[in-house]
Amino acid sequence: MMQSSISDWLTIILRRDLIIAFRRSSTYITPLIFFLIVVTFFPLALGPQESLLSSLAPGVIWIAALLASLLAVETIFSEDFRDGTLDDFFISLEPSFILVFAKVLIHWLITGLPILIASMIAALVLYLPFESFIPMIFSLLLGTSFMSLLGALGAALSLGRSAILSAIIVLPFSIPTLLMGTSVISSSLINQDFSGYLMIMGAMLAIGIPGLCLLTVEALLLNYE
Amino acid sequence: MNKIWNFIKRWFIEMGSPPLFYKWSSKILPWLSIVSILILGVGLYWGMFYAPTDYKQGDVYRILFIHVPSAILGQSIFMFMAICGFINMIWRAKISGMMLKSAAPIGASFTLLALVTGSIWGKPTWGTWWVWDARLTSTLILFFIYAALIGLHSTIEDKTKADRAVSILSIVGIAIIPVIKKSVDWWQTLHQPSTFTITSSPSMSPDMYQPLLICVIGFYLFFALLLTLNLRNEVLEREKNKNWVRQLFGGLS
Repeated sequence: MMQSSISDWLTIILRRDLIIAFRRSSTYITPLIFFLIVVTFFPLALGPQESLLSSLAPGVIWIAALLASLLAVETIFSEDFRDGTLDDFFISLEPSFILVFAKVLIHWLITGLPILIASMIAALVLYLPFESFIPMIFSLLLGTSFMSLLGALGAALSLGRSAILSAIIVLPFSIPTLLMGTSVISSSLINQDFSGYLMIMGAMLAIGIPGLCLLTVEALLLNYE
Repeated sequence: MNKIWNFIKRWFIEMGSPPLFYKWSSKILPWLSIVSILILGVGLYWGMFYAPTDYKQGDVYRILFIHVPSAILGQSIFMFMAICGFINMIWRAKISGMMLKSAAPIGASFTLLALVTGSIWGKPTWGTWWVWDARLTSTLILFFIYAALIGLHSTIEDKTKADRAVSILSIVGIAIIPVIKKSVDWWQTLHQPSTFTITSSPSMSPDMYQPLLICVIGFYLFFALLLTLNLRNEVLEREKNKNWVRQLFGGLS
């Protein structure tokens, strides 16, 4: 009984938020376009040499992905906070952990997933070898999910305040993700074993889902005292 | 046993009450300032004038007596802040939040001091102001995290809320700092062979080690002094409308 009510709760929030997101296309288009624009800037700034770009590609793709996933961070809670939906969620007796988890999932679906797809285009135009595509996608899959978790915490802490604040809060903490993510791709470029980095990223995600979601709940509750 | 436990409990509760802390700290403040400045002075004087000259680096190495303690302090203060954060989250002790807030700028300053002295030390010995070495990079990131904590605190109007927000972030920080250190280590070994190692002297001569140890103790005491001073200001600032503060300064109650 309890089991089904929690999953019902999860699907209700997911459905509601997905509908809202899809009715307003800018929510998932903007991070995507932003990602592609940032990627485009690097060849323009550094010159179009193939050897240079392919060696820089892991870093470029990752920096663009981090920035793009930060872009939409503010929207995770702010809308619901402003119109009072968040209050309703907290008043209802359903676990707030599930709420935060659903919000993180939504954020990943509207930023992480489009970035994941766009990263293949980015990898093509930056001359990343085809062998590195699969490691890149896996690293982005784990990394952007962790970024969504961190972003949710940043958004909760800076709720109702400037968007730049959440970026400053989140960016220093995203450094391990950046390093591991780029290491995965660069190791695959020189035919080294990269599974270790992926495992660490997976471990961070596994600890982050309960840990960061709980802390995000705490941070959200700060606004209701 | 029960008696001791009760004593410890009472001591903690007394520590956590701002007026009692203020009274208690006024008593130890003179002692703390004398002892800390004395030990810091002895350590620095010993290090600067009596410790032997390094046979490879000459007198330049003496910056170590400032650089190493401040780097140690930068990390220890973060640990201290995370402990304060835990206490603040769990027991909501008022003073722990104030401690967290007062320790942050001190920790950031020590980390910055470690970075700057390291940079000054690096120029004559390595020939460059900055190297993307694992340790330097992780210290720089630690500084950014301090900046994030201070920035977050300053944007939230309500001080107790700000304390709790910073507590949450400091807990995330203490969990992620080891990961950052490890990942920077791996990153560094992947990208470039380590050209320089800072800690290549495994056996430091005791003539250098002893003053360094005294400097480290002196820095810790100096931190305790700075923290107490900062905390007393913070207590007065936040409790300025309370009776005990008004009475203390002879205002109307």
